[in-house]
Amino acid sequence: MKISIKTIGLLKEYHPGEHDLTIAPGVSVQQVISTLNIPTQLVAMVLVNNSQQTKSYILMDGDQVQLIAVQGGG
Amino acid sequence: MNGYGGSILRINLSTGKIAKSSTSPKLAEDFIGGRGFGAYFLFTEVPARADPLGPDNKLIISSGPISGLMIPGAGKCDFTTKSPLTGGYASSSLGGMFSAEMKYAGIDSIILEGVSPNPVYLYIDNDKIELRDASEYWGKGCISVEQSMKAKFGEEFQIAVIGPGGENLVSYACINHDFGREAGRGGVGTVMGAKRIKAIALRGSKRIPVADLEAYRQAGKALFKACKDSDGLKPWQTYGTTIVTSWCDEVGALPTRNFSAGSFEGGSKIYGQAMRDEIVITDKGCFGCPSPCGKYSHMRRYNTRVEGPEYETIGMLGSNLGISEIQDVAQANLLCDDLGIDTISTGGCISWAIECYQKGILSKEDTGGLELSFGDAQMVFEIIDQIAHRKALGALLADGSKQASKKIGKGSERYAIQVKGMEQSAYATHNATAMLLAYMTCDVGAHHNRSWAITYDLQVGRELVVPEKVARIIWLQDFRPMFDVLGACRLQWVELGIDRDLYVPALEAITGIHRTWKDLEEVGARIWNLNRLFWFREIDGFGREWDLPAERFYTEPPTTGVTAGQITKLEDVHKLLDMYYEQRGWDINGKPTPETLAKLSLTSIMN
Repeated sequence: MKISIKTIGLLKEYHPGEHDLTIAPGVSVQQVISTLNIPTQLVAMVLVNNSQQTKSYILMDGDQVQLIAVQGGG
Repeated sequence: MNGYGGSILRINLSTGKIAKSSTSPKLAEDFIGGRGFGAYFLFTEVPARADPLGPDNKLIISSGPISGLMIPGAGKCDFTTKSPLTGGYASSSLGGMFSAEMKYAGIDSIILEGVSPNPVYLYIDNDKIELRDASEYWGKGCISVEQSMKAKFGEEFQIAVIGPGGENLVSYACINHDFGREAGRGGVGTVMGAKRIKAIALRGSKRIPVADLEAYRQAGKALFKACKDSDGLKPWQTYGTTIVTSWCDEVGALPTRNFSAGSFEGGSKIYGQAMRDEIVITDKGCFGCPSPCGKYSHMRRYNTRVEGPEYETIGMLGSNLGISEIQDVAQANLLCDDLGIDTISTGGCISWAIECYQKGILSKEDTGGLELSFGDAQMVFEIIDQIAHRKALGALLADGSKQASKKIGKGSERYAIQVKGMEQSAYATHNATAMLLAYMTCDVGAHHNRSWAITYDLQVGRELVVPEKVARIIWLQDFRPMFDVLGACRLQWVELGIDRDLYVPALEAITGIHRTWKDLEEVGARIWNLNRLFWFREIDGFGREWDLPAERFYTEPPTTGVTAGQITKLEDVHKLLDMYYEQRGWDINGKPTPETLAKLSLTSIMN
């Protein structure tokens, strides 16, 4: 199945831009983060289809995933 | 003078004298505005060792050269004073519309001096400036007073008001504005209360002179476009500062039960998404904001509404008190706002009391019969009210956790999570050495907004004690507070990640003076060092010992969560300070050397 993935802020340094990704059913956001070699702890927020999800969220076909880092902290 | 209101307004509350003088071009050159003006006036005008609550202390309220103009977030206002909480320098930043209105009234700084014999409020309608009797408002909550004043004077008047907390001289009373924005930290509202000034109602309609109107328009447009084009805009606007709550929990930075841990088992119900789904009605922004982080919430359980809670409040009145229901956190937020006390220090003081009670240090006699336990929202609501009115347990907690622990003794000092007397804001710093140093060396006490480095700690290795981390903290301290000097919000750079160089042409077009960020950081360092001198001047024995973090962070590793078993060693704490002092050009006790002062053109002020 296919999902789209987009990195925001600091995470672009690890995996720039937005693109489609083909994954097997049952794969979590965390597994995708690891596959892309993005340090897990730097991912402050995961949005799937514009709603916040945890990293253990199991992805579904067509999901649009945004990974966000926090650089400044208020 | 381009970019400025053009005048400094002095109100002597003892005599009732109102005087205006022109803003000095030399002051604008050296300190630019906002927090810079505040630091200068505080150091040069408040006599050494002045009583923070006495007539000699001053409350300096300053806009900046960007305030009130069409630049993203150009609504920041600085409140500077000698802190009744710490005895040292205090500066607190307020969002909303107040700063813009000051500029439209032609005012760069309002300096409140003396002590009024009776409660008054300051009324400003352009050049009509009066002190008026405030007896009808005294004793009332911030929200109702703002509503009454808006109804009486008109919606376009901007109101800054204190609540019962400020009137009763709670050491961490705040100043409220726009029904939920606060100058929260260090007791700026306490000083307003001590001067018996309940509120300032302000309206202006003057023009702000700009050096190059077309260049200003273009630079402003470029800044707004960068915000609009930012990938981070949508999630930031959806969640505001609560975007970090779940992540802080995940990485061990969410203060939990008086900072005894950094992860909270009940965290998921106070995360940003839970809050957005459960209580948020709409977004709310400040003047000129393209990315409103304010969230207006409805707590159905209580049938009440509040602006908030934002992350710091969730951390300090939520997880840090063991509370896992977002409606309870928001209700506690509302009580603090209306009573006019800082949510961060309030949370830190209550968590100190609960832990001391659980450890047998405080008895029921000390608590006025209250049973203290983490997770009890009704108890928290009661203590908040007690603090604001200085009654029962609140009388002990109203002077802050450092003073409370001094009074109680019995080892309670180790549970006061503070630096320099200011309660630590909502980032747990177990084995996060850059962020720990940020809190240790912040110029007002343990506050996060001068430098924030949790992500940086994770990027480079949270346990590392290296010069690069120290350099990072110093750079942030010189750079980030410059937004409070300019009178603009830093969150567009911080959270949307827009290019900070876009501000350079904007500032030049407005003021007619070209300044690079390197120039601005030099002003930042000048202000930082001046504030450090203020601490040395005001407090006997000030120095290295005052820069140590709460003992917990180097003696007591958490037993739960992702940071279980982790702390920073005391020797590493001192190593951080050694490197920090050296890089700052300070001596081994943390005092700026004469050479450093000369380099920053501070010698003449010292003399």
